[in-house]
Amino acid sequence: MNVPTEAYVALSGVLFAIGAMGVLVRRSAIMVFLSVELMLNAANLAIVAYARHWAGFDALAGLTGQTVVFIVLAVAAAEVAVGLAILIAIFRDRSSTDVDALAEVRL
Amino acid sequence: MNLPPIMGDLVVLVPVVTLVVFAALTLLFGVFTRERAALGGLALTGVIAALVFTVFLWLQARAGGVAVTALGGAFRGDALSYAFSFIILIGAGLAVVLADGHRVRLQLDQPEFHPLLLLAAAGGLVLVSAGDLVTLLLGLEIMSLAVYVLAAWRERSRVSEEAGMKYFLLGAFASAVLVYGIALTFGATGRFDFAGIAAAAAAPDFAARGLLLLGALFVLVGLAFKVAFAPFHQWLPDVYTGAPTPVTAFMSVVVKTAAFGALLRTTGTLVDALGVGPIGEVLPAVLAVSIGLTMVVGNFGALLQSGVKRMLAYSAVAHAGYVGLAVLAGGDAGVQAASYYLFTYTFASVAAFAVLLSLMDDDDRGDRLERLAGLGRRRPWLAAALAVIMLSLAGFPPFAGFIGKAVVFQAAIAAGHAALAVLGISTAVVAVVFYARVVMTMYLREPDAHTPVARPIPRRTAVVMAIGLAATVVFGLFPGLWLDWIARAPWWSAGF
Repeated sequence: MNVPTEAYVALSGVLFAIGAMGVLVRRSAIMVFLSVELMLNAANLAIVAYARHWAGFDALAGLTGQTVVFIVLAVAAAEVAVGLAILIAIFRDRSSTDVDALAEVRL
Repeated sequence: MNLPPIMGDLVVLVPVVTLVVFAALTLLFGVFTRERAALGGLALTGVIAALVFTVFLWLQARAGGVAVTALGGAFRGDALSYAFSFIILIGAGLAVVLADGHRVRLQLDQPEFHPLLLLAAAGGLVLVSAGDLVTLLLGLEIMSLAVYVLAAWRERSRVSEEAGMKYFLLGAFASAVLVYGIALTFGATGRFDFAGIAAAAAAPDFAARGLLLLGALFVLVGLAFKVAFAPFHQWLPDVYTGAPTPVTAFMSVVVKTAAFGALLRTTGTLVDALGVGPIGEVLPAVLAVSIGLTMVVGNFGALLQSGVKRMLAYSAVAHAGYVGLAVLAGGDAGVQAASYYLFTYTFASVAAFAVLLSLMDDDDRGDRLERLAGLGRRRPWLAAALAVIMLSLAGFPPFAGFIGKAVVFQAAIAAGHAALAVLGISTAVVAVVFYARVVMTMYLREPDAHTPVARPIPRRTAVVMAIGLAATVVFGLFPGLWLDWIARAPWWSAGF
């Protein structure tokens, strides 16, 4: 069975939209963060799908696309490390990760 | 399969490698010796070494007249990358000295602090030297991850934690949008490198113009977050206010310059790739609306602030709008105007934060305008320094801020954006009000019993102020020192 590239890209678009919605509506910083991860993985899905598409025309483009996915994964992992560290610092101080409570600076 | 030459001219990587090596050295030194006083000096040595290498490579590139690339074109040494690397390193050096002078007082003397500053600067260099979108993403992340941590640096400080968290969540969101834009651009052209994207889009049978536009818009939004174009600027006032003041100074120069370097290269390539016609007009139009909004929101936002630090934060948004005019103008003239603006803004901004730091409490709070009352009589030199910086930022001749605005408006008008330039000039009039308010408070307002006396200034901070002040005056009186120097360079658009 040969799934067309458009189908993968459509799925990635849906995942990206779900992630973006999550960032906008969720209150917990962890859930916001998880939604960002979903967006990153949606982008990864699109890159692999396009890599398969372009591999038919140019083998190098296919390989490049697949390599980039690993780079994006590594970036996402580094982001997790830093993000969770900041999250823990905040949680120690306030026992909450509610993003709406981050309103002190506005005073 | 035709593989490009992998290594290329690795010498262009030397400034970045220098910064990373010195970051590691500073960290090891701090951890093993518990000697905190020398860390700032070691970090500064690293920045100066990287600066020397950058200048050397820049001179070499000017003599050779061609752009140098390394790692299969992923890393470029051209006029844009050298000019912006130079500005980033100057800003980083000033910020390192500034942070070092207030290290103990503001509890910034953990051994990890200076290495993170160096790593952020290294990320900035990668960002402005990126020859493809993936290297651009990596540079952006190397820089941002370090700065997220720096913004949240002060332990048990709720505003600092909050600044770090907000910056992190919105920054991560912005990078996700950027990555999606990169994915769509790859889908449209099959390439990640700028030269390849331009070549693919220039092919006569290029059909995916709509997809490329969508990708370009996502990439633009991702970068707009970093340079704080409205409506993606909301994080900036809170983060600048909450972050430790030396880190705010660092962000306002290094992060901003690096993000603009990347934005100039990216929009330059993508606008050209999209070409003329209805699809090609969308990206400049979106950019124009966003820049107009940025200038209005930044200046009027600054007008409403009672804290000086927060006022400077909003004015940073406004200045991003003015540099945005140069981005919109594009081409060599736009890049040169933007580089002059950011170069002089670097000195003025760090000097402004340096003065502010000596007026603030030990808990890094207390930036209300009333604190400046009577400063003109109590500390005439400090007040005069701040007055010159404020007048320069407001765009008064003969200071550098005036020339900066002039070249930017000139570039915008020459590129056919006269209406936007007029909007810029009218919002600059608004800016005069809030900058002049600082000057008037210092000289005309009588201090009352609550006005604290400004603390003695550490010598290192005084050096930062003196350099910032001298550059603001010298480059205002002799703008040709920078403008003529970069105008003679082989520019990036000729490099592909």
